[in-house]
Amino acid sequence: MNILTLLLLVPVLFGFIIMLLPSSLRGSFKYLTLTATLIQLGISIWMYLHFKTGAAYGGINHEDQFQFVQKLPWISLNLGRMGKMQIDYFVGIDGMSISLLVMTSLVLVIATLSSWEIKSNLKGFFLLFLLLDMAVIGVFCALDFFLFYLFYELMLLPLYFLIGMWGGARREYAAIKFFLYTLFGSVFMLLVMVGLYLSVTDPATGNHTFNIIQMMNPANYSGQSIFSIAGHQTILGMPARTLGFVVLFIAFAIKVPVVPLHTWLPDAHVEAPTPVSIILAGILLKIGGYGIIRICLGIFPEIATSGAFWLGLLGVISILYGAFNALAQKDLKRMIAYSSISHMGFVLLGIASQTAEGISGAVMQMVSHGFLSTMLFFLVGVLYNRVHDRGINHFRGLGTLMPQYTAFVMIAFFASLGLPGFSAFVAEAFSLTGAFKSPTVNGLLPYWMAICGSVGILLSAAYFLWTLQRMFFGAESLKGGNVWKIALTDLNLREKLTLAPLALIALALGIMPSLVFDKINDSVLALVQFLQLK
Amino acid sequence: MHDLLPHISASLSSVFGSIAYFMPEVYLALLFIVVMITDLIFGKRSLKLCRIVACAGLLLVMYLDLKQFALVVDGGHLIFSNMLLLIRSGIFFKLIIDLLSFILLLYFSWDNKLNGHQKGLSDLYSIAIASMFGLHLMVMAINLLSIYLAIEMVSIASYLMVAYRTENAFSTEAGLKYVLFGAASSAMMLYGISLLYGFSGSLDIIFHHTIEQLSGVNPISTSFAMILVLIGIGFKLSFVPIHFWVPDVYQGASTPVTAYLSTVPKIAAFALLINFLSPFMFTGLWTGFNMSIALSVIGIVTMVAGNFAAVLQTNIKRMLAYSSIGHTGFALMAVAVLSLQSVSVLTYYLLVYALANIGALALATYFANETGAEDVEDYRGFGLKYPIASVCFVIILISLTGLPITAGFTGKLFVFSTVYGVYQQTHSIWLMLLMVTGALTTVVSLFYYIKIPLNLFLKRKEMAEISNKKSMNLLILSIFISFILILLGIFPHLVLKLL
Repeated sequence: MNILTLLLLVPVLFGFIIMLLPSSLRGSFKYLTLTATLIQLGISIWMYLHFKTGAAYGGINHEDQFQFVQKLPWISLNLGRMGKMQIDYFVGIDGMSISLLVMTSLVLVIATLSSWEIKSNLKGFFLLFLLLDMAVIGVFCALDFFLFYLFYELMLLPLYFLIGMWGGARREYAAIKFFLYTLFGSVFMLLVMVGLYLSVTDPATGNHTFNIIQMMNPANYSGQSIFSIAGHQTILGMPARTLGFVVLFIAFAIKVPVVPLHTWLPDAHVEAPTPVSIILAGILLKIGGYGIIRICLGIFPEIATSGAFWLGLLGVISILYGAFNALAQKDLKRMIAYSSISHMGFVLLGIASQTAEGISGAVMQMVSHGFLSTMLFFLVGVLYNRVHDRGINHFRGLGTLMPQYTAFVMIAFFASLGLPGFSAFVAEAFSLTGAFKSPTVNGLLPYWMAICGSVGILLSAAYFLWTLQRMFFGAESLKGGNVWKIALTDLNLREKLTLAPLALIALALGIMPSLVFDKINDSVLALVQFLQLK
Repeated sequence: MHDLLPHISASLSSVFGSIAYFMPEVYLALLFIVVMITDLIFGKRSLKLCRIVACAGLLLVMYLDLKQFALVVDGGHLIFSNMLLLIRSGIFFKLIIDLLSFILLLYFSWDNKLNGHQKGLSDLYSIAIASMFGLHLMVMAINLLSIYLAIEMVSIASYLMVAYRTENAFSTEAGLKYVLFGAASSAMMLYGISLLYGFSGSLDIIFHHTIEQLSGVNPISTSFAMILVLIGIGFKLSFVPIHFWVPDVYQGASTPVTAYLSTVPKIAAFALLINFLSPFMFTGLWTGFNMSIALSVIGIVTMVAGNFAAVLQTNIKRMLAYSSIGHTGFALMAVAVLSLQSVSVLTYYLLVYALANIGALALATYFANETGAEDVEDYRGFGLKYPIASVCFVIILISLTGLPITAGFTGKLFVFSTVYGVYQQTHSIWLMLLMVTGALTTVVSLFYYIKIPLNLFLKRKEMAEISNKKSMNLLILSIFISFILILLGIFPHLVLKLL
């Protein structure tokens, strides 16, 4: 069996097992889920180790350069005058996906470990969790737009219930806001998807196809079709291809999230239970970035180039706006949520630069932020579980009370603010290098954008260090008094086991960024070349 | 009189010849009589027997429908001197109507309120069978006269069904409203038909010369007549602006009757609309208003009005009533770009919609039986108490919204594809607006559909144990429907390749 299919089937299989088990065995559900995620982690590490590199494995717009490919005909319909509809079950990965896939598998394990705090309705929780697991893995593997869309939408419902049923006080509001926001983006994506499908024909079979890679080849567009490059069609007075790009970009920008489409994120993060926050920040935001690279840039490269300035501008706005907001937050989780927005801005900036450095930095930032935000949200969860409070000014002097916890917090904070030696430094440095290089190489971004990005790093140092100072240093003073003091025990073994690998990975990626760069490099170069050729 | 004699034998043999193409309907007519007689003979105890007879009879009718496919291999047949048309797509419509009616007939007696009716349900079965006869006629009608007769037949049966059990002033009012609106709209339709007849001198719209005659008349007059006829059909389809009756009637009628009204007559009415419009849209001789644009505008208005009004509703049946108006608008998209392709897509969309709608109303009955809940608010906290039913409800609502991986999504996708395909050729701005409205209203529809899962799962309420007898049948039905919806969501070609 194809290994990617296996990766997708593992959560489904375990989901069925959990579904069939009686509620009396509810204690075993978390272990079953943990097993499932560990198996997935094993599979993805195996794939990582067996992932071939070299110019012949660049992927992007060459179907034969993808690895672990499985392609099965799925839906084939004769639609009369409109020709045949061809939808394939088509999975495969290139350098862009492999690093994100490994990161996703690890984050899922961590998320499962943090699910120990969930006490109510375990069967529902873990079923939804596994469904979400399958959907996010599927998004990174799918190479057929239809399949991609299916997985993309499939994430929404489990997340809605996970936030809505196990969330905090304003969970209903946060859940529906998240759902409506994302759906708003994706229904219009559906229209573009249908338009692309009707524009593109598979040269091998002559059918209309949803194959993303075929959509990247301008020769596959028939002349009269809406999204044909040569056709210069318009929709409601706007150039069709620009409109298509904008619609897809908005759909993914909501996921990233890019300011001003970010307002769902602080609410969702704050109300969601810790495991869901981890998945949201660690994985879902990356789906936005991945979608922009794979789909927006892949299918509409010339629009991405002509609109690079605006992408970069949005990236810079996200970086600065997120950072300033993070400075102003009084809730620790909200602060981290805004810091996510700021950090994901670097992804957009790197992508917009369209240089090898910038795109490598963007992918690296996604991987790095995946681990670091997981760690940060897990750490907030630790605190919240003990005293059910997250107010930054409700704690003081935690350093003496919980030394081990403080140590991990410091690692996570310093790593996130871009201290050399940690992954985020490499990632942000590369993104900024790309942005600095862009004015001279391809003239897409002006210098001031890179400078503003650098200011963002400074701001992130400010809010992380200030928080550290307020919460962990100084004389011990807690809002809840002695009750809190007793409740605030230091980390237990499970928590340490969860945090240690994350800290190690952040360090390892900082010292040996080649762990990621080696795997993504060929794809990044292929993408840059593809963008230049168009 | 003597002049006519030579023609009689020819007409007679044509009628007898036509009967071979009319077997399902003949059996339906017989079934109606059999069910009625069973009811008369066995009186009060006849409920079970009537149900068995009716359902078994329907299975036979479905079998006869299937056999009809062999008759249309070489194209359609005009029967009964051009009154009815038997074509392949029509047989699919009939099959779907029979299948859904079969489910509905089973479902009638599972509703505690309807089943508690003192007269018993036996009459309802005979009325339902009679209305099905009318539905078959609607699907096949191609002559203005037969169109009118078919619609009237279904309407009269529907009036009876809506008013079958009137528990309070509200449902009595609903029944009366339905009759009055129905009568008014059919009167208008009849006026429109008479005008068309006057203009063209013929009732056979399928023939070119009829349309040709019409093209010689002032376009404003013919357009006016056309609007009147469309009002009659639109009453059955419940598109805006002839939709006022829908919320009240759907809320006031018994839930199974609502399930009936919101599905099968609608499907038949779409089939009728296609039959009626095809000659005008395809011959190119029609000089009145542009049909495609008119349908697009109606579709847009209907989607917007239906979906936005549904957001404000709290009664579950009323909400589903407005949502069904929204779905009519969406289905009109496929009619606006009428072609062979769009008819099969439309058939698929309607099948999926109808299944999901029956499922949703069956679950509304389930919860009403179990707990007496009628409003969305009453569903608070049921999710954990009735997990299976609630999960099915979520799947069914997701399908109605049109999200993957349910059949509703594939239906939506195919409709979009069809409209897009035409848009690519014509670049009509209306089609683009239709699609954008369709996408936007999907988001709006999520807003109200999600209220049910929201109350089921997200809201919590401590409540006393209310346990009547378990409605296992309804639960099985909803599980079955959910399964089908997911199956078609993953493998839509299982059905679509047949259509």
